[in-house]
Amino acid sequence: MAIISYLTESGEERIVRPNTPLPVEVRNNELDTLLVATTSVTTDANRDLLGSTSTELPTLDGCGRYRKLVWFYFRAGADSTTYRVLARATDHNGAPLGAGWQLLATGTLPGEANSWGRIEIPATTDGYYDQYRIEVQRTSGDSNYNLTSKIVGVR
Amino acid sequence: MQPKVCLVLNNLSAFNRAWTQILRNLGIDYTLCIATGGGASSSIQTPQGVFSPSSPDLRGYFRQFDAVILCDNTNNLTQPSLINYSVFWLSWNAPEDPAFLFFNPHFSAAITDSGYNSNFPSDFPIVRPNPSDIAGTLYAADGGSAGSFNPLVAALTGGRGACVLFLAENIRAHVMTVCNTHTNNIPYYWRLDTAKHSTLASTTYTHRVARNGRAGEILAVPAPPTSSEDTETYPADCVVAYRYRNIFWLPHAMHRRQDVADDRNPYLFWLLYGLQAAGVRPRYKLPVQLETDHPLQVESTGAPFNHAITTQMGVLEASWDWMRDFARRKNTAIVNGLVVGTKYRMTNAAYHWNLLYSTSRTQAERDAAMRVHQILVAGHREGTTPCGVHDHTIGTNGYWGGSTAAGFVRHSGMRYGAPNDVPIARGRCCVAPHVLPAGVAGADAQTVQVGDTELVEWDIPTSGTGTTFDLPMGSIHAARIIIESEIEEMLALGFPDGYCAGHRYTNTASNNSGGECYWQALKEFGFRGVRSASACNRNLNTKRVAPNRYWNGFHLVQEMPLDIYNATNADFSWGLFHPSAPSGGDAVRYLNLDHSNDISSGWTTNPALAWRAYRRVLCMATGRWLATTAVSLGGAYFHPIHCLMPASPSRVLDRFDGWNILNAANQPHYNHAVELLENMDAIVRLLPEYLYWGTITDVMDHRERVMG
Repeated sequence: MAIISYLTESGEERIVRPNTPLPVEVRNNELDTLLVATTSVTTDANRDLLGSTSTELPTLDGCGRYRKLVWFYFRAGADSTTYRVLARATDHNGAPLGAGWQLLATGTLPGEANSWGRIEIPATTDGYYDQYRIEVQRTSGDSNYNLTSKIVGVR
Repeated sequence: MQPKVCLVLNNLSAFNRAWTQILRNLGIDYTLCIATGGGASSSIQTPQGVFSPSSPDLRGYFRQFDAVILCDNTNNLTQPSLINYSVFWLSWNAPEDPAFLFFNPHFSAAITDSGYNSNFPSDFPIVRPNPSDIAGTLYAADGGSAGSFNPLVAALTGGRGACVLFLAENIRAHVMTVCNTHTNNIPYYWRLDTAKHSTLASTTYTHRVARNGRAGEILAVPAPPTSSEDTETYPADCVVAYRYRNIFWLPHAMHRRQDVADDRNPYLFWLLYGLQAAGVRPRYKLPVQLETDHPLQVESTGAPFNHAITTQMGVLEASWDWMRDFARRKNTAIVNGLVVGTKYRMTNAAYHWNLLYSTSRTQAERDAAMRVHQILVAGHREGTTPCGVHDHTIGTNGYWGGSTAAGFVRHSGMRYGAPNDVPIARGRCCVAPHVLPAGVAGADAQTVQVGDTELVEWDIPTSGTGTTFDLPMGSIHAARIIIESEIEEMLALGFPDGYCAGHRYTNTASNNSGGECYWQALKEFGFRGVRSASACNRNLNTKRVAPNRYWNGFHLVQEMPLDIYNATNADFSWGLFHPSAPSGGDAVRYLNLDHSNDISSGWTTNPALAWRAYRRVLCMATGRWLATTAVSLGGAYFHPIHCLMPASPSRVLDRFDGWNILNAANQPHYNHAVELLENMDAIVRLLPEYLYWGTITDVMDHRERVMG
């Protein structure tokens, strides 16, 4: 005796059998929002998007499943700002394989005051790093400004 | 009916995401509408089109909502426009119209916009603030002193105090309250036009939000003092919250800033109050719960209190007995991170195990400590004061606080204790089982799973049969040894488990939850979640928790300290205020509440200042707690003995009464536990549709419900 059935769109009751399985909708959930943060961009060296200057501390952890990260940002100020993207792998316990980081990218953060930006991490090839550290440092001007970031992970 | 509100704002670049985070946590649907400017002629952009603010189309659009919320506010009374477009809505008072919630509204007399002024209701009973005549149109609040910054931006410190009387409910509560402010950084309350109010209060009005069936209702006023010492009083026409027909005129709820949703929003009581008053019935109530760290410990016997150890235990015993009873009455559970590890790894006689059993303590001290301990054990078993492991003895800072715990001492027996020879670090070789060639793995190979990753490890360093060794902390093997030793100590102390009974949760030491290997090991021992900082292994600082604070079904609950002292500079709190306290050693200075030195400058000569300090401390701490409850669904906590030393040993449970009850340092007595819980209880009683006394299990259940 069939114990599971479902109604089709036409209202017909259909018994679940190997050749008439339950209808399922397949969705590819390939994107995850990983971070939304507002950072006061200062002249501090090694200050990451979460405001930490502790150089071993990752901004994002547990990212091994992501082929690429996409960093969207909105910068409220125009002062010249450098950024660094660092990455490294951990073992299965979550411990970094060693101290320090691999430098993936560095440069001047594009954009003027009240402008948007988008940076792919890594810029080419695939990532799959477990941890990333993203640092910003203002190199001109007298006033800190807010940088609001969103980072999505692409599987 | 699904609860649904409309948020109106002018500029997303100054939009605080806490608005929507709170609504999501409450299960209230929301729609954002953007005003094209601040003037009365601005348009309102809605998902169904762009409407004139005075148009019937907009009015019809608004009628699908339970409430319309004005999000924008300012600290500048001279500003000519901000929410001028909303003036038309003050006259949309039919029963079909929604409630309108104005928080810290800008309705200054400096607004020159004729569209605003000509449509402002002539019978509106609150005097419009005039920046040229502030003293004649507003009441300076909370002592009237200027802060060093805009009071609207107060986040974790720097709050302004208010004891508010809610008239219909007849409840007094301390909630951070600023009705309006100005560039002088002084908070103000409103002045009522009593003639207009009298007319409204006697006018029949029908709307679902008009509880008394009248067109005007004073909702809340500054509470009158309960002591003759407290001379901070307000005139009879001073109000802090008012209902004009279906329009709610409420204090500041959320600062305008482009920021992520977080728990730096101590004013949000007024949002919850406004939503409830507007009849917005949320799908979910929010569970309120409190945690403590180090429920049994002692502090210095020196200045300023010079409390003997037995005296300290007496303060704790009375306070814990009261807290246990409170939890029983309110159906909540005060969960506690109980310091473990001292049975094996630390001889400091200040901590739990050694307080009970160390011969460096006198019999009287041990007996006094045992009385506190027995309350905790009994409370654990009945569900009122459940305790879990909290270990400061590994490294210096909880789980994975260093790369190696030198001279680590493990427990005896059980699976990972001496003399069992067990793994202590990751294997030299680790290969996934599905790609491991046959015959490669060493004889000591074992399968290790951490999260989704399963590896076969071999060449694994082991402990040997000894008790003491250097323990590398970054592996699941270390985590298992550490956690099992902690649970063994809890069992030896008489607790049936190490994870707060059925809650399967604990407060990690220093909020260090370690990393994946510790979370996996905790899951193996039955834990469902722990409290954790984002940077979860200070001082090593190599790990962060995921932003959603959820790892393979394991909760990493955000922390919020409610302590009243700076642990960097002081061993314990010196009270609400103490002239000789070390930097940050008292509540006022730790929480940055001494605005314009209006507490410190007259502390010894003006008894009213003790009441001012009391109000500000309680408002700030409760505001933090409420924000944690509503925004981050986190865990707020304090350290009992560190915060209870300022209580009078002979009148531990007495409520604050200024200089009428002194503590051992001849300063005003203050019991942080009693005051904090009772104030939050007043708020829970005020907001029965929105809050309830719950447990950490309720918090974790709710996280799973709304995290989606």
